[in-house]
Order: sequence, then structure tokens, then C-alpha cells
Amino acid sequence: MAIDPKYVELINADIDGEISSADRAAFEAFIADSPEAQALHAELSAVHASLDSLPELDSPPHLKHTIMASIPEQNEGARSTPGAFLQTLFAAPALRYTAVFAAGSVLTLSLVSSDIVSQGAFDDMTGLVGTISDQIPQGPSIQTTPIESKDIAGTVTLHSSGPILIVDFDLVSSGPVDIVASYVDKKVWFNGFAQLESPGVSVSAESGRITMQIDGKRRYALYLHNAGDRDITIHLQFTSNGEAVYDTDIEYVQPGHSG
Amino acid sequence: MNKSDDKTLMERSLKGDRHAFETLLVKYERPVYNAAYRMLHNPDDARDVTQTVFLKVYEHLDQYDPARRFFSWVYRITLNESINWLKKSSRQATLEQDTADQGSGPRQQAGQAQIGEGIQAALMTIKSEYRAVIVLKHVLGCSYSEISEVLDIPVKKVKSRLYTARQLLQERLTEQGLH
Repeated sequence: MAIDPKYVELINADIDGEISSADRAAFEAFIADSPEAQALHAELSAVHASLDSLPELDSPPHLKHTIMASIPEQNEGARSTPGAFLQTLFAAPALRYTAVFAAGSVLTLSLVSSDIVSQGAFDDMTGLVGTISDQIPQGPSIQTTPIESKDIAGTVTLHSSGPILIVDFDLVSSGPVDIVASYVDKKVWFNGFAQLESPGVSVSAESGRITMQIDGKRRYALYLHNAGDRDITIHLQFTSNGEAVYDTDIEYVQPGHSG
Repeated sequence: MNKSDDKTLMERSLKGDRHAFETLLVKYERPVYNAAYRMLHNPDDARDVTQTVFLKVYEHLDQYDPARRFFSWVYRITLNESINWLKKSSRQATLEQDTADQGSGPRQQAGQAQIGEGIQAALMTIKSEYRAVIVLKHVLGCSYSEISEVLDIPVKKVKSRLYTARQLLQERLTEQGLH
């Protein structure tokens, strides 16, 4: 026998904790005498409990920084050109490049070198800004390191492609931040620098030490020539106004050396 | 949800106070992301929708109606953006296929994570208008009247949509062996 819609509504209200005191007595009297209503109450309660059991997820760690870096400094300016900064955001290096990497696709980057990847080392150079585009095959990501501080956030992902190690920075900073990537193995060479629609980034390199600057949202990559597929640890230090704000190590271990 | 706090923060944001906007962002980032994820079942899409939501909020600060509660405005944008995202990316058909392909193992074999995935998969099989009321009720913890405010529909319609949505979910979960 179909349940009167009025009581179906009360069953739902009871499960949702929204039954009024005026309706409660009538509801309780009805359900006590109706096996169908009791069954419906049990079924809906089970669905309610299942839905309430869905876990609350953490939002991505650097999402807040990305959003704040995407909004203009002056609100008046934003309102004077409706839609402008949204268009800018989606024209800028997109967060979705992560998915491109994950799919193992080929990524086009602007690369500093007259060749795709030079066979020699770039040592002791300063003020270099990427200008040349070409396709660099990206190997599978080896590890992704989250960077999370109040000054800078995002990820640094390590890829390997033959003798080339690619350190892929996808970061957003709340102000100017210097990044120093250093390593001790002198047989590892700085081999190039690439930037993805992030003009104006400069890089300087000396043996075993590469320095870059970031201000806002940036996506770029360092290329290291790793002759002999050697194990390497790269230390990353982030400084703001001369003070260290974050540091971490990323490690490449040649296949078969893990553990 | 403190209406007066949000209102004050909105007013300060409108005057160009980025810190006030950041405070709102911190407060609502997680619920917005969770709502988008439950609507889309894809973390990358949920992240992009969350980003779009807050940028739209910022861009349209001067269009905010102070008579409405801030959360209802943000949640409405979130659901609309999620639904638009589904339409644009034509993910709906794919997701329905994905969920149809998922097994229907007996409940006793399903771990908690599998049950959670099963519930999410079942959610993706129902129409977005039904999924939206489920998300508002069970993910965002809204009352009937708050759902009514977010969706701009009468409370009676909220109740009927919730009932239909739960009945559909109950059928799907039973098919999957999760109920």
C-alpha cells in the first residue's frame, strides 16, 4: 500500500532532523502502525548515513596561493575591465599541464639553447631568458615534491629523459622569491632552462648552483645533463628578502638503485 | 555560517582589501572544492572549478546582493560552474559509462574506500539537479531553507528533489551491492 505523501515528507524530515515538534506526534503515531513506513524510513536512513559517510577532502595545498596570485592588486582595476583577469588566468600557464604530464604527452617549452638540448654544459652564465621554442620529450615523472609555505607554494616535479633530468617548477609566490637549486656532483651539468608562457624569468648558473627568481605564478624547467645516469640529490632553497622561507631536497636514483 | 562576518569581509573586499578576500577564500575554499569534487568526481576539474568560482566572486563583488547570505551566493556559483563544466567537457556520458563499468561486488567484500567510491559512482549516475541537492545537504550541510536559498526554489521542491535523489541513489547502491 502506498504511503500517504504527507508522511513520506515527514519521514524525510525526520531523517534530516527537520521535523517540527507540531508534526512529530502525528509522525510517530503513523510510523508505529505502518510496516511500509518503517521500511521506507530504514531504507532512506541507510542512504542518508552512506552519504554522510563520504569523507571530507583536503583542497590542493597551493590552491589558495594560486587564486590570490591570479587576482589583481587593485579591485577597481578589475571592475574596470570585466572578465579581463579571468581571461588572463586561462591564457596563463594552466594548472592543467599537470595532467598533460600525467598523460605522458610531449610538452612544448621555450628553451634556452640554440639546439633542443645542448650537448655541452652552460656554466657561469647570468641573466638568461628563454626565447626559443621546441619540443622536448618528457619522461615519466619520477617524483613530485609539494612546496608549501606562506611565501611560495606549488610543486616541483622531476622527470628523466635519457641523460637529461628535467626539474619542472610549477609555483606561485606572494612576492619576489629567489630559488637556488644546488648539487655537489661536478659531472652533472646545467644544460638549459625552459619557461612555459612565463616571460621575464631570468636564471643564472655556476658550477653546481643555479639561481632563479619568481614573482607570481610561474611554470618553468631546468635541464640537467646527467652523464652516466648518476644518482643525484638537488637541494632547493627558497628565499624572500634574504631570508630562507623553505628548503627541500629532490633525489634522482637511477633505476635499479632504489632501496 | 556567520552572516555578519561574511558581509563585513565582502564589504572590505569590495573596497580593495585583499586580506579580507583571502579570509573569505580560506573559509570557503574547502567546502567549495568538496562540492565541486562531488559534482564532478575529478580532482583536477574540482580544482579548476574552485579557482573559477573565487575569481568570479572577486570579479563580481559589486554585484553581490547583501540581502542574501554570502555562502548561498558562493555555493550557487559553485554548482552552476560545476554543471557548466560537465556540459562543456561532455564528461557526463563518460562518467556514466565509467560508473556502469564498475563492478557490483557484494558488500562484505567492499572496504570503506570502495564503499565511498561506490557512493560517489552512484552520485554520478543521477541528474545534476538531484546531485546538487545531495551535495548541498550532505557535503555542505545546508538546511532545507538554505538549499532553497542557494537554488532559488521553494522548500517544498527541495524536499521532493531530495526524496527523489535518495530513492535513485538507493536503487543504484542496491544494484552495486552496497545496500
